[in-house]
Amino acid sequence: MGKPRASASSTTLRLAALAAMPAMVAVVCLWLFASGRVPLSIAVPWSPTLGIDLNLHVDALAIEFLLLIGGIGTAVFVYAAAYMRDDPHRGRLFALLTAFMVAMVGCVTVDNILALVVFWEITSVLSFLLVGFKHKYAPARRAAQQVLMTTVVGGLALLVGALLLGEVAGSYSLRHIIEAGPQLLDHPLLPFALGGIFVGAFSKSAQWPFHFWLPNAMAAPTPVSAYLHSATMVKLGIYLLARLKPAFGGLFAWEVTLVTVGAVTALWAMVLTLRERDLKRILAWSTVAALGTLVLLIGLPGPGAAEATAAFLLAHALYKAPLFFVAGNVDRFTGTRRIDHLAAMAKAMPWTAAAAALAACSMAGVPLSFGYVAKDLIGIAKTEGLAFEWVGYVTLAVSALTVAVASVAAVRVFWHGGGAPLPPVIREVPWPMLAVPLVVASAGIVLGVVPSLTGSLLDESARAMLPGSERALVGLVRADASSVGATAVVFLAGAAIFALWEPLHRLMSAATWLDTLSFAAWYDRGLKAISRTAAWVTSRLQHGFVPGYVGLQVLCVVAVVAAAIGSRPSLLWPAVEWPPLPVAVATAVIGFAALAACRVRDPFVLVLVSGLAGLGTALLAVFLGAPDVAATQFTVEVAFVIIVAAVIRQVRRFALPASVVGHRPLRAGIAVAAGALVAALVLLPAATPFDASASTYFGAHSLPAAFGHNVVNVILVDFRALDTLGEVVVILATLLAAWPLVQLLRRRPAGAAIGQAIVLDTVVRTLYPAMLLASVAIVVRGHDEPGGGFIGGMVAVAATALRAVAQGRDRALAGFPGGAIRVAGVGVLAALVSGLPAVVVGRPYLTHLWTEWSVGAFGAKVSTVLLFDGGVYLAVWGALGGIAALMIGLDERGAS
Amino acid sequence: MIWSVAIAAGALVAAGVYLTMSRDLLRSAIGLSLLAAGANVVVFASGRLGNTDAPFVDPGLQRLSATAANPLPQALVLTAIVIGFSLTCLSVILVLAIRRRLGVADSAALQAAEGVPGPADEEETDE
Repeated sequence: MGKPRASASSTTLRLAALAAMPAMVAVVCLWLFASGRVPLSIAVPWSPTLGIDLNLHVDALAIEFLLLIGGIGTAVFVYAAAYMRDDPHRGRLFALLTAFMVAMVGCVTVDNILALVVFWEITSVLSFLLVGFKHKYAPARRAAQQVLMTTVVGGLALLVGALLLGEVAGSYSLRHIIEAGPQLLDHPLLPFALGGIFVGAFSKSAQWPFHFWLPNAMAAPTPVSAYLHSATMVKLGIYLLARLKPAFGGLFAWEVTLVTVGAVTALWAMVLTLRERDLKRILAWSTVAALGTLVLLIGLPGPGAAEATAAFLLAHALYKAPLFFVAGNVDRFTGTRRIDHLAAMAKAMPWTAAAAALAACSMAGVPLSFGYVAKDLIGIAKTEGLAFEWVGYVTLAVSALTVAVASVAAVRVFWHGGGAPLPPVIREVPWPMLAVPLVVASAGIVLGVVPSLTGSLLDESARAMLPGSERALVGLVRADASSVGATAVVFLAGAAIFALWEPLHRLMSAATWLDTLSFAAWYDRGLKAISRTAAWVTSRLQHGFVPGYVGLQVLCVVAVVAAAIGSRPSLLWPAVEWPPLPVAVATAVIGFAALAACRVRDPFVLVLVSGLAGLGTALLAVFLGAPDVAATQFTVEVAFVIIVAAVIRQVRRFALPASVVGHRPLRAGIAVAAGALVAALVLLPAATPFDASASTYFGAHSLPAAFGHNVVNVILVDFRALDTLGEVVVILATLLAAWPLVQLLRRRPAGAAIGQAIVLDTVVRTLYPAMLLASVAIVVRGHDEPGGGFIGGMVAVAATALRAVAQGRDRALAGFPGGAIRVAGVGVLAALVSGLPAVVVGRPYLTHLWTEWSVGAFGAKVSTVLLFDGGVYLAVWGALGGIAALMIGLDERGAS
Repeated sequence: MIWSVAIAAGALVAAGVYLTMSRDLLRSAIGLSLLAAGANVVVFASGRLGNTDAPFVDPGLQRLSATAANPLPQALVLTAIVIGFSLTCLSVILVLAIRRRLGVADSAALQAAEGVPGPADEEETDE
């Protein structure tokens, strides 16, 4: 027992030691600032061609955020090591927290707005992973999904905004954008750029109408809530807005948008707080309200607002993080966070109660706390923001509610008697969990007593938001009658709300229409609508009817290409002229065969008709000066007709009855459209100038460089030999794919021929060797005269097919020395090897070498070309001849 | 001449598309081969059709004469024909295998890979 515990506690220590990282960040920042090295710029090139760099720019505003990231981060790391002591997956939590910290540091220090977006999105993904940390718990998964959807959709808007902003400013550098900002205010794209940035910032910082995700994110472990969802990540939106304020803060739209959204968020979040019973969710709503206040402050003009933003940012982190820690302690101690069950906890948890009291003082803005300093500055900011007089009443109400919430957290939970009975102690709370909130909350009080401790950091930070503001924070705390009066009103109202918390809560909870109308409900409805729409689209598109798929795809292609053609009225059509008679005949044959193929129902006739179409194209090739193509097409058609006719000869039943064939007019329409489009694609280029450079090159170099008169063959075996090699491999692959399939099918009895006609047998006995001999001759002479490996190979395939028909499959396969697969494999190998000699003598692979060879009176040119073309021949013969023999050997009679 | 060849290509493609959309899988396979033939004609025509002498270097000359047909699309089409043939054979074998498995070569019977679409799971189960 002792050993695992020892190792577990040493793991805890090791994890706590990770706190050195955020602590280092904080210390380095303090040193940088204290030694006057700020602002600091470091150039880090990343992708200069894309205009993206990782240049760092650290000014006072960045330092303030870095201090939050490092300072609160240190507290969170120490606290989490103790809090997660018994969780077997705590290593994952620390890995994610560390990665998150790095991403946050990146966010607030990079100068390039695109790099900022990248870090921003990383924090969104890490937030998703951290909220869903307890992934076996369905609400956590749902909350994580909601966090991701909301912040990533916002991130997308931010990306668009950032790209547009870069477009507007001519640079993605934030510093450049800020410098150029005042000159850009009339740019027509600026509203769109700022719109995208607002959506991104508001969704990240949980502003109305994206406010709903933050309370749900409380499904995360408490240290995560304290770090991401109170102190740092949710303040990224604030950071970006504060960063851009010097550029665009003067816009009236900027002021109106931020002040309105911030005020609505703050007030609405505080009202919704009254509906909650969960301590963490109560704190989360008050965080939303605080973020709203910050957005409002950034929107307000005047130096006081900038100063108040800087101060409130710090004050909020210093009181909200300890309050989350307090909630975590209570949860750990009692096993619940519901305020119904919590009362008079002070006796059992004195240290936690003390921390809660200190933090609540700062939150409520009790004099001599740093919260009071911030509140006072907000008051000054209000008096300066004359245009927004109504804001004063909103902040007054928000402040009163904040006082009430602070009282709930500090007074109700710890000092208030009555309520539900005290639950039994679940677990002890280890001392780091007591010390951390106490230290952080004390910092919030110390800074309130001695505001000068913040030095000039807040002033400098405010100056980064509002260049030229000369107001100094120190000694600014007012004590005039109006501010004292306002404070008194806030405290009285807050106390009243606290006293009436239960009736108000019942009143608000009764208003269930708030739930049905809430954005959270609309979010759920939206998600359901997405899956319903997806199901509907799927049922329309993925109906399982294959011809429908084909038709839809063809239609889409036709529509897109036809639209592209139609949008260019400048396209020219070639002149209509009467074709030479042979071409006209060949076209007529093709047209007849195509039409007949659609009409005939008998499969045997269909195969014959498709062979006729092939013959038509062979004719066309003959008359258009392509004897090699014609020969290939001709042998292919012969072999195909032999094979397929043999396969389906006896099975006229193979065809489906005509009654199942439907949609004829529709299919015909699609087919005619596709045919017309293809005809147009043949015609349109014909009226444009032709770049014949490749063909001219081949024509000019075929004989001098490759020693071949047949240019087509030279292209195949020499100029483009690598392509040919690939094609030969494809043919071999076809055989390998067909082989196992054929084994599954029923075979004819061994040796049984289809023909069984003595005449045919006799003819084939002489024809087969003659055809093979001819095929070899076709290969050998192919370099200078019509022929080559492909044509020779196809002639040999036809010979094998004939033999299979006359003498049966096995005799035909026996004609391959070593078997069909081996012949094809040797062919591919020969083609591969034929390129190697060139490599040996230092030429590129597949450059063919020639040498004169003379024996006595005989002289012959010998070349690796022959090896290559022979390889092609063997591959075609082995693969396609093998397939042909196998297919002819199939017995389909028993299949149906 | 280009109009004639365009009509031939269009006719082959139209017949190919029409047959490919057939429920009868053998007709689909034949349609595919007609489609391939049509594509070959398109590639062939893309090299221009004016010159109709076979692309051989005449004896005594060092280069192709100006009246020779364009050799490049011929080389492309030649290999495409052979590959098209091998793929048509493979698709016929596949049709036979389907027929053996299902007893009928009807593409409407090919539903094993796709379930009947229904409403997606919207509710998660709590653990």
